[in-house]
Amino acid sequence: MATTLFDIAAERLGESSAMDRLAARGTLRLALKQAGLDANNLTILQLRAVFERLMPRELEARGVTNPTASCKVAMDAIESAARETGWEASSSPDEIFKRLGGN
Amino acid sequence: MEEYAFLPPIIASAFYLVASVRLFRLYRRTSERPELLLSVTFAFAGVYYFAYNASSLFGLDPWSLRTEWMLEWVYISSVFPYMIFIRTVFRPDGAWAGALVAICSAFLLVSTGMGTIEGEIVYSLENTWFLVQWVGYTAPCVWMCWEATLARLGAQKRARLGLAQPIVVNRYLLLMLFAAFQVLACVSDLSLAHDMTSTRTISMISNGLLGGTEIASVVVLWLAFFPPPFYANWIERRAATIPTAVGG
Repeated sequence: MATTLFDIAAERLGESSAMDRLAARGTLRLALKQAGLDANNLTILQLRAVFERLMPRELEARGVTNPTASCKVAMDAIESAARETGWEASSSPDEIFKRLGGN
Repeated sequence: MEEYAFLPPIIASAFYLVASVRLFRLYRRTSERPELLLSVTFAFAGVYYFAYNASSLFGLDPWSLRTEWMLEWVYISSVFPYMIFIRTVFRPDGAWAGALVAICSAFLLVSTGMGTIEGEIVYSLENTWFLVQWVGYTAPCVWMCWEATLARLGAQKRARLGLAQPIVVNRYLLLMLFAAFQVLACVSDLSLAHDMTSTRTISMISNGLLGGTEIASVVVLWLAFFPPPFYANWIERRAATIPTAVGG
């Protein structure tokens, strides 16, 4: 059962790209690492940037046909699932440090 | 020069107290734990540095042993919220981080407690309690330096995707430098203990190292928590023109 935003995203990525569960999770982890993101502390905005700018290349490298469309389908599904589950972003270090400096 | 050795810690204490008030006011607005924890850290640090050096500043007699021990407790009281801050911000789910906080807390409580019971403040490399206490307050500084370094590396990648602001990336760098200066200050404590063990006097190197690291810490914290507009603009401009130099 999906409990974190990462779980939701990996599940939807697997569905849209026809990758198995392990491959989808691994691909997502690699893309998040490239983006400098923590899988345990994601926001929708961060995932959108990853799915728009990094994931198509990752899917293409794994032989997924039409990677850009797969990413769009996955991202729409992630947003919808996140709304349904009432998922909320936790406070990330970036947000904390933005606040602490008065920005 | 030696008679002015109290000046850097007094300047640092004034800064810590001002920063503490600013962070507490931020906490009143946001009700978030990190600002409260840092505010309490800086409050204890500010009180400690001021009180410890007040006798030199006002030309009073040296503090009694009882007062010195009270100040030791004030000092270690600043380390607890600092450790909880690091854990809350960087490792909220890490069991090992909780264990590290517990171990350092135990080191600080036991060493300061035993020192209080024995009744002597001995800055000496031969004093086990001094060394245990040193580990207890140095480890969190090393930890903070490590976490800020990792956070900065990640934030630089995020900034290239437009997910982190260059000023926030730079704030991690400043925090990393602050923690590194604090580690140096801790090393200067060892140098001081070495002086006390061998010659019973504090050398210019120990005094200079301690004073220099305090002033450097204040400068980087000022840039982090009170960034002047010219500095913030410079960081933003630099990130826009040299993408590989995001956040300084």
